[in-house]
Amino acid sequence: MLNSIWNRRSFLGRTAIGAGAVIGGSTAIELLSTTRVWAAAEGSDGDILNFALTLEYLEATFYERGNATSLITDSREKDIFATIQKDEEAHVQALTDTLTKLGVAPVAKPTITFPAATFATRESYLKLAMVFENTGVGAYLGQAGSITNKDILQAAAGIFGIEARHAALIGVISGATPEGGIYKGATETPIAKADVLAAVMPFLGGMPNTGFAPSQQSLNLLPTGLAIAGAAAAVVAFRTRGSRKPQQ
Amino acid sequence: MNQDPFEGRSVIQFSDERDRRAFLKYAALVGVGGSLAAALPMTKVLAATSPSPSPSGSPSPSGSPSPSGSPSPSGSPSGSSQFGAGDVGILNYALTLEYLEAEFYQKGLAANILGDDAKYITPIAAHEAAHVTALTATLTKLGATPVTKPTFVFPPTTFTDKATFVKAAVTFEETGVKAYHGQVPLIKDGAILGAAASIAGVESRHAAVLNYLAQMPPVPNPVEQHATMDETVTAIKPFLGA
Repeated sequence: MLNSIWNRRSFLGRTAIGAGAVIGGSTAIELLSTTRVWAAAEGSDGDILNFALTLEYLEATFYERGNATSLITDSREKDIFATIQKDEEAHVQALTDTLTKLGVAPVAKPTITFPAATFATRESYLKLAMVFENTGVGAYLGQAGSITNKDILQAAAGIFGIEARHAALIGVISGATPEGGIYKGATETPIAKADVLAAVMPFLGGMPNTGFAPSQQSLNLLPTGLAIAGAAAAVVAFRTRGSRKPQQ
Repeated sequence: MNQDPFEGRSVIQFSDERDRRAFLKYAALVGVGGSLAAALPMTKVLAATSPSPSPSGSPSPSGSPSPSGSPSPSGSPSGSSQFGAGDVGILNYALTLEYLEAEFYQKGLAANILGDDAKYITPIAAHEAAHVTALTATLTKLGATPVTKPTFVFPPTTFTDKATFVKAAVTFEETGVKAYHGQVPLIKDGAILGAAASIAGVESRHAAVLNYLAQMPPVPNPVEQHATMDETVTAIKPFLGA
């Protein structure tokens, strides 16, 4: 196998998440010796990793806050939510370490705000969790064709699959309809970066350090007093564009 | 593969004697770590080293800053397996696994043992059947010959007991997830990569739900693991017909 970013390292075990999740040394050296200017290239692997990092920050923060409530009471469900939180935190750490190793500055953690109703009820928590996870799945898949480095590609795919597991599990816990809720058909649907950004922008207060050019921010999509249902509907609307080719 | 729900009995019989011999020969060589080059004879599958589909729009392998010498020392599975070379080989490998899954679920549903869990598993069966169709169509479109469907023989208890069935399903799904992820960095064409990834994500959903139903940890790792073709073939070898 290729020098995979994460499979040779302690990252694999749940016990030792954190330090080891960086790109293999020889690969990093190879990358750094290329003439590619990572930070400047539009849609470079570094940009994609920073895009992913922003999403993972959002997810990790979401579960940290949600799991601090008492909304989930069933012990098995609590275990699953705790695992999901740890996964998202592991993704943040791994992406940060990999970017650093690549010589690209990781985006700072954005200021993240959630509508007041987000953590009001079990239903509201589960509903937004479903939106975030399915958006994450589509976001990673939407970038698959743009990633040039095979190690980074495999690592991103490895995260993508976990987001899909999360999405399905939250669907089960929510009592969602199997097809269309827990599952999204026989194939996953990619979501373009701009659409993902538009969907998550309402939660990223101020966007101080997220590294995205203003032109990519659809500021007029920031509805005042956005309801969770609105965000969900927005994502659904984006998804209906459907048959976009993965590499676009 | 962590479990052996079939207690070492065979689940796969190939419809064609040559297919079976080729597969077993391959599996045996893998088992002893031998050179895979000797196990190549599946002429039916791929003399059709079909012209690589349009390079336009696909990530350029030559432009990738992947380190030279990164393919594993034991030999890259692509180009050296029974399934054929390149992306076509990978697609035929995937098709073989999807055939297995599709028939497994079809029989599981037909056995009417799943009770309430059928609602979760009925869509999975449909997905696997759709994957078979999609992969077959893709191979045909590429001018390649899809592998013929093997004849699978499942042990009698597989479809008489729900717990056994669900556990076997977990095994198949986790094997499928790892198999797809193992091929991700080896796929050359961007469109095929996207298609394979879009299937892999669905297999991950399946794995999570089935683990949940089996009362097993539904997300065993923070990233999906991956297996080589060699490892996958070894994993399913105990299920091969004699």
